[in-house]
Parts: sequence; C-alpha cells; structure tokens
Amino acid sequence: MILFKGDLYHSKDQEIILNQLEDEINKTRRTKMLNPEKVIVALEKLGQSIAEGEFDALISQLNIEGIEKHIDIILMSLKRENIEYKVKTELGEHYFDIQKTDPPFNQKKLWIRPMPLGTLLHIAAGNIDGLPVFSVAEGLITGNVNILKLPQADKGLSIKIIKKLIEIEPDISDFVYIFDTPSSDLHAIKKMAEMADGIVVWGGDAAISAVRQFAPVGCKLIEWGHKLGFAYISGYEDKEKELTALAEHIISTRQLLCSSCQTIFLDTNSQEELHAFCEEFLPYLEVAADKYPFQSIDVIAERTLQKYYEKLDNIISGSAIRNDRVYKGKHCSLTICPDKNLELSDMFGNCLVKGLPRSELFSTLRKHKGYLQTAGLICQRERREELTDLLARSGVVRIMRAGDMSSAFCGEAHDGEYALRRYTRIVNIQ
Amino acid sequence: MKYRSLLFKTSDPFDTFNTEELFVKAVKENSKYQYDNCPEYKKILESMNFKPDFIESYDDIQKIPFLPTLFFKNHNIYSMPSYKMIKATSAGTKGKFSNIGFDFTGLLCGLRMVLKIGKWRKLFSFIPANYIVFGYKPHRKNKTAVTKTAFGATLFTPAIRRTYALKYKKGKYVPDLEGIVKAIEKYSKSRFPLRFMGFPSYTYFVLKMMDERGKRYKLKKGSKIMLAGGWKQFYKEQVEKEVLYKLANKVLGIEEEDIIEFFGAVEHPILYCDCINHHFHVPAYSRVIIRDVESLEPVENGKIGLVNLITPMIKATPILSVVTDDLGILYDGEECGCGILSPYLEIVGRIGLKDIKTCAAGAEELIKEVKL
Ligand SMILES: [Zn+2]
Repeated sequence: MILFKGDLYHSKDQEIILNQLEDEINKTRRTKMLNPEKVIVALEKLGQSIAEGEFDALISQLNIEGIEKHIDIILMSLKRENIEYKVKTELGEHYFDIQKTDPPFNQKKLWIRPMPLGTLLHIAAGNIDGLPVFSVAEGLITGNVNILKLPQADKGLSIKIIKKLIEIEPDISDFVYIFDTPSSDLHAIKKMAEMADGIVVWGGDAAISAVRQFAPVGCKLIEWGHKLGFAYISGYEDKEKELTALAEHIISTRQLLCSSCQTIFLDTNSQEELHAFCEEFLPYLEVAADKYPFQSIDVIAERTLQKYYEKLDNIISGSAIRNDRVYKGKHCSLTICPDKNLELSDMFGNCLVKGLPRSELFSTLRKHKGYLQTAGLICQRERREELTDLLARSGVVRIMRAGDMSSAFCGEAHDGEYALRRYTRIVNIQ
Repeated sequence: MKYRSLLFKTSDPFDTFNTEELFVKAVKENSKYQYDNCPEYKKILESMNFKPDFIESYDDIQKIPFLPTLFFKNHNIYSMPSYKMIKATSAGTKGKFSNIGFDFTGLLCGLRMVLKIGKWRKLFSFIPANYIVFGYKPHRKNKTAVTKTAFGATLFTPAIRRTYALKYKKGKYVPDLEGIVKAIEKYSKSRFPLRFMGFPSYTYFVLKMMDERGKRYKLKKGSKIMLAGGWKQFYKEQVEKEVLYKLANKVLGIEEEDIIEFFGAVEHPILYCDCINHHFHVPAYSRVIIRDVESLEPVENGKIGLVNLITPMIKATPILSVVTDDLGILYDGEECGCGILSPYLEIVGRIGLKDIKTCAAGAEELIKEVKL
C-alpha cells in the first residue's frame, strides 16, 4: 500500500506516484509551512486514540511479546509535555521564532531563520516496533516533508496510524508519503533518495551500508544503526540489589534492544573471578527468567537449531570451535569467553561474560566505536566518577545503573545526538 | 542394504512394533554406509564421538547425530558419485532449496511404500478418472518435489485429463481458479470420477468460490480429494480441516473418508498419509522423535518440540536422521481409535519469527492478487 496526499493506493501504482512526487513536494515546500503547534496537538490526539485501543487489532497481529511496554513508551512520547520538553532540550527555547545574532566586533546583525532540513527519506529497515511512525513524527515536528519506506514486517500498522494522524490534522497530508517498496526495489528507493535532503536510516550494518552506496553526494545521512549494550562491573554498592536489577534487565528485554546488555565485562584478568561470578549470577538469571517467562517456543527453537547448525558448519569447514565455558541455567545461560570483545550474545537470556581490566577498557571500547551506546555501570561508590569518565571518554553515550539500561527518559539524546537538530537547518539573512 | 529392503517389504505399513528390530538394523546399516562414503558425515559423527557400531537397540537411534534441513540448503553432501543419483529439490522459500540425491534402490523402496500405503487407503482404481491438480503444471524450470508428488499421484489411477490450477505465464505462476471452476462443471457431467490433488488452500478457495455461487454437484463414486504439499501445509490454523470437509460434501457430494491428506519432504521422503480420523500415523519405514526446543533431548509423547525424522530409505545422501523447521507433537497411537497403533504426528507450527512465508501463505497471496 501507498499513502499519497492522505489517500491509500495499491502498491502497483508506485511508478506513477513516484513520477509526480517531486512536483508535489516542490509545490508544498514552495508554498506551505507546517505549524509545529498543530503537529503537537495532532500527535497528542493520536496518542489518545492509540490508548483508547483503536489500533489494538492491528498491533496484536504483529504478535510481539511484551508490546504493552513499547506502547506505554510510545504513549508517553506522544504527550504534549514530552514533545515540548524534547523540542526545548534539543533545539533550545524559542527555536521556531526568528531571532537576530548579536555579534562581537561591531559587526552587522543577521537574522536567524530556522528551517526544516527539507525532505527526509526515512528508511525503516528491520523490526523495531512503532519506529517508522516515530521517525516520521520527529520529521513532522521539525516541519519536514517525509517520505517513509516501510519495513517488510510492518503489516500495514504504520500506514493506518499515519492516516489517522492526517485525519486529525489534514495539514499534515502534504508532508507525509508512505511506500511499502521492498528493499530489493533499488530503482524506486534511489528515486526517493534523489528527492531527499536527508536520509534517515534505521537498521543493521547491511541496511546502512546499502544506503551509503546509493545516497546522492550532498544528501545528509542520518544513521541510527544497531548498537550493542554492555554491563561493566567493578565491585558493588549493593550486590544483591544490583545483580537482581541486571538479571531482570537481561531477561525482560530478551536482550533484543540496542540498549540491552549483551556482554558483561568484569574488571579483572582472573579466570577464577569470572567463574565465581557466573556461579553466583546464574541463580539471579534463573529467578528473573521465572519472573518474566518467555512464551515464544518457536523463537527458542530457532535459536537452538541455528546454534546446532553452526556447530555442524564449523565441524565441516574445520574451523576451530571456540573454547567457551558455558554455565547453563533454566531458560538462561552465561558463557565465559577468552576474548575481550564487545559482541552480540545469543540473546533471550544468554549473556556473555568476559574479563576486561579497567586499564584496557578504553582501548577495547575504541575498537567497537560504531556500536557503542549504553553501558550499565555497577561499581563501588567511590569508583563511579572515575569509571563514568572513562566510559564517556571511550565513546559510550548512555551510562546507566544496571537495571535502567533500557529505561526511557524524557529529554534523553538518541545515540549521543539530538535528532531534531539533524532534521533542521539555519538560514542566516542579512 | 539388505535390512532396508526387508524393512520396505514389511506387509503392514504401520507396524512399527514388530519392525523395530529390523528398523534398528537398517538404520545401523545406513549409518555405516554414510560413515564410510560421506566424508562430511564421518567428520560430524567423529566430532560428536559417535560411531555407527554404537547402534545396538532402538534407544541408540536418538543418539545418532541428526542434520537440520537447513544444513541441506547450504551444503550439498552426497554419499555416492553423482552419475548414480537422481537429484530432487525441495519446495523452498526465499530461494533456498535443499538438494538431495536419491539412489535408484531407495526410490524402488519408496515405490513399494507408496503402493502399499495407497492400497491401504484405497487410492488405486482401474477406473480412469479426470484430474484437477491444485499445483504447478510441470515446467522445465520447475524442479520442485511438490510438482513431482502432485503429478505422481495422478498416476494412482489412469488419468483421462489433467487440469492445473497454477499456470506458468511469463516466468511466474498464476492461479487460474475460474478455469478450475469451469473444469469441475465439465467433469461433473463425465461418467468417470473426478480426483483433486494439491495444496489445501487452493482447494478451499475453489470450493468457497463455488459455494458462494450456489453451485452443487454430485460427483461419481470413486471421486476423491487428495491434499498434499509440504509439511507446512498442515498447520492447525491453516484452512480449518472441518470447514473444508463440510464444504466438499456440500458442493461436490464428496464424503469425508474420500478426502485424503498426505505429506512428505524431500529431506524425509516417506509418504505420510492420514487415517480415517485424519491423523498422520508414523509408517513402519520411519520413526519420529520430538526433541526439546532448548536441550534437543527427546521429550515424551504429547509434548511439543522439534521434529526429528528418521528413515534408512536413502543411501545417496545422509538424510538418515533429520530435524525439520517444524514444531510438532507425537501422540500415542491408541489415542486415535482408528485401529492403527503406531504413534501419530501433528505439526503445530514452525520455528522462528522470520521466514514464516510458507508455500501456503504464498498461495493465499497469489489468490488475493487475483481478487483485487
Ligand atoms: Zn488413526
């Protein structure tokens, strides 16, 4: 399905619609401005209709475990208080007003006119829920024209939600276009990219490098790539409380989020300490797994079979099987690895444990600079400042308490940046 | 391979009890052959510290390292020089296909099995019949096994005419349901029975179309609906079987016992055919072990798990013990009540979130396109 000027069209009309899209967008950008206040009102109303269950049938079709939690976060983020606070934090007070510079050296003053970046192409690759709508909402708040290429797994939800948004505020219809173009249709995606001033891409390495291949030179790339979260443990303030919180975080997020803990680093070089930690921590994980039982047997089965397949593959290709030590619990596991790399775990309650002394923390994390985002820091009170500083210097952009690694906070930056700033530009006028 | 031949000569195709000893011997014989002739298989067994000589009793079968069907999609492994084999390709999604080689004697065993099971389910008749095949018309480019099964079943009885529901046009398959409705109308006036063969979803759509148009026929005695496809076709939540049975009776006058389902997979080419209660009992040529989705250890009957299928039928490829992408439950045979005592298998789902596009889902999509 395609959403064009507020109306739905069949995917087969894509070529015809794409051919007139640029003219339409040009007309809008030449003559219209989206009032941010109207967008805020509309988003808040949209949040109400989501809360009232208007999209429940479609959402349940997505069949995502723990979707309620996601929805709560989405509802919070659509509230006026949050959006206003976000705009204020990210763009500063009175951003949308035209202001004047006040330069030194008696220079002449210039007008500062904030403008949207222009046309944003959102490529929502992958599977994070509610994300396509969210990305477009940020584009709308900043007044951009948004072209959204839907991910395959969307099942029509995003189109329905945005159509509702347009019903609430018809002015938005000229500022959103949605296509369900498959990622394989490069021709069409390139065409969209050529119209864009910025491409917002969500997804893994493959999606991002694909976009880099075809993005026109001069088109701004706003990459929200996949990140790897980790915990760093160097002593405790309240061991039982902190290990419980970490275990519940690992189990309840299924380690599926960018901020989820994949690897637990211990501030040590001693193998014995790693083993002692696993023996102590595994029961915490088991308790958490019991508290947040995982229902999707099909997902567990797939992981098991995939691992088994990899084992066979390694046997046949003769590649060395890593000498990992696995602590297997009920519906969870801890694996001690000999290396110090930050890597993706097997997820679903299966965490990696590695030794990484403080002295090697910085150099190790630098090797993974593209993947840094959240660190859950567990340490003695007197070491917190020093370790926080070290993590910040190494490129980590969220330093949290272990239990809050995946909590959402109003006004927090996204992967170390204020997204709205990247969706806008400044025009200086003499 | 003398034990294999003996096993496939068993007189009762569902006697899994008295054939147990023979089955174990045939499995051992096959495992030994694979071990000696397929270097990859040998490597796998060696690294898992297993030797074919370890197989002494039925309980040892579960210890044989099994290969997931995914393995055959990424590796072409054979235990015979290719000039001795006949190769088949599975009906795959996303362009991934299993390449399995069959040996001639293995196929003869298969033929024996098909004849025996077909006879038991009264599929043979000397009376010629018209055929409607809800599948692909065989095409040079279409090597998939589904076509072969669908076509093969039209050989159960002499075929007068075959009409296909999926036609190959400009490089892709398109459903021709209107053509099928017309063909049914024509064949219903014939003095010969009519047999349907193919994917359940198409059968269902055609019957529904006819029902909505108020069409009612009484087909000749000996008319049958044979439903087949991959394992995937038999998900519980697919076309509700009861609905299909009622519709077939209403529209075509076909009784429930004349609706026969079967399935098979290239990686486990054993013909599974339903009993009068529409349960898939394990035939004597095959054994099923359901495995825990985490530990891969066998679970007891009635519990859900990964489906491990074992047969010594094929020499050319080590498909002795394979694990499919399905989730299934094995029930005690007595629970069925049809008289067959071998356990029966129910496929209840498929692993993983992605790649859930099955042939059946694909078929439904094709049909939706036609309706638009
Ligand atoms: Zn039965």
